[in-house]
Amino acid sequence: MTREADVPGDLIEDYLDRLLVSLSGSPRQVRHTLAEVEAHLRDAEAEGIAAGLPQETAQVQALERIGPVHAVTGRPALLTRPSAALLRRLTLTAALVGGAGFVAIGGAGLVGRLLQALKGNLFMTTPFPPGTYTRADCARWLAGDPATRSCVTAMLADHAFDYLLQAAACGLMGLAGLAAYLVLRQRWNDRATMTALPAGTAEGLGAILAAIAAVACLGRVFDLETVQRGVGVGQPLSLGIAAAVAAAAFALALWRRLRAARLRTT
Amino acid sequence: MKAEKLKGHLDLLLLSVLSRGPGHGYEVITRLKLRSDGAFALPEGTVYPALHRLESAGLLASSWDVVAGRRRRIYHLTLAGEAALAEQAAQWQEFSGSMARVLGASLARALAASTTAVPGHAPAAGLAGGAA
Repeated sequence: MTREADVPGDLIEDYLDRLLVSLSGSPRQVRHTLAEVEAHLRDAEAEGIAAGLPQETAQVQALERIGPVHAVTGRPALLTRPSAALLRRLTLTAALVGGAGFVAIGGAGLVGRLLQALKGNLFMTTPFPPGTYTRADCARWLAGDPATRSCVTAMLADHAFDYLLQAAACGLMGLAGLAAYLVLRQRWNDRATMTALPAGTAEGLGAILAAIAAVACLGRVFDLETVQRGVGVGQPLSLGIAAAVAAAAFALALWRRLRAARLRTT
Repeated sequence: MKAEKLKGHLDLLLLSVLSRGPGHGYEVITRLKLRSDGAFALPEGTVYPALHRLESAGLLASSWDVVAGRRRRIYHLTLAGEAALAEQAAQWQEFSGSMARVLGASLARALAASTTAVPGHAPAAGLAGGAA
């Protein structure tokens, strides 16, 4: 029996559309499953028509017999609902953008370490004003830096070290986030998830957020340069540089993603 | 029979059906229904993930062919599938034999009661009182 592939009102076509966006696996696996399920449904439809049923009734019967889409995918119904696919896509987006953001902060730590080596701790952090810290604070800072006798010098070294340590911790968290993204993306590599948001959403969001962070940090650099004559510029400068690099990387990924999507449609 | 009960034995049933000769999905389901006199009727779609799983496990292999004007994926048993079928069938035989021995006496009583029970009346003494 031969049919037109796209018949308006064809219940089997509607079922196959739903199945297509719910199937996971490689493109070949998806094509094969779709082809064999279509052959199955057309067989069942032909059987009903041969038994004297009208075409629509035969299709309804064929669909009742094969069961819901999640019976064919072998996955729980919850995982084949569009809302679940959107949730999965949002999780992937958060893992990618968040992971890359934290990695960028880790990168800022590396830039900060370089700036610290070149320009010193006073460039990295602003000292507390006199009278805002106690002798005990001083003793603690000096204990961490026995080579110096100056409380302010020890305080600056302590604060600069804290910044670099926190940046390194953020970098490790970012790597964990990106690893989670890669694992989840492999697990959720189905059409429903991948098409739940427009192509390039994650890259676009990452580029916008990173660009905002870069502008804010570099604006702070300008402020510190003019108001404090460069004292404590190192932190916002390193963060601004890392954010600008992240924004550029996201923008490049967005451009590539959109170009690939355009090529697929032409 | 309830689909949930059947699912636990689906692999064995599919291997058994395909041991009689290669077949595509729809054919496998039709054979399953015919050979069980319609007792094994489950949502037909559930057969496909099972067939794919068995193929991934190397117990089935498939090839594409055009049958009655439509492209079909034809499944057939591999050597590993034949071995798995023999093993699972032996396990089932042992299990069903043990079940039959345990249930034997009470099964006979229940069957006797169901044939003598009259709707609207008390059940036969075999079930209610336990007398033989």
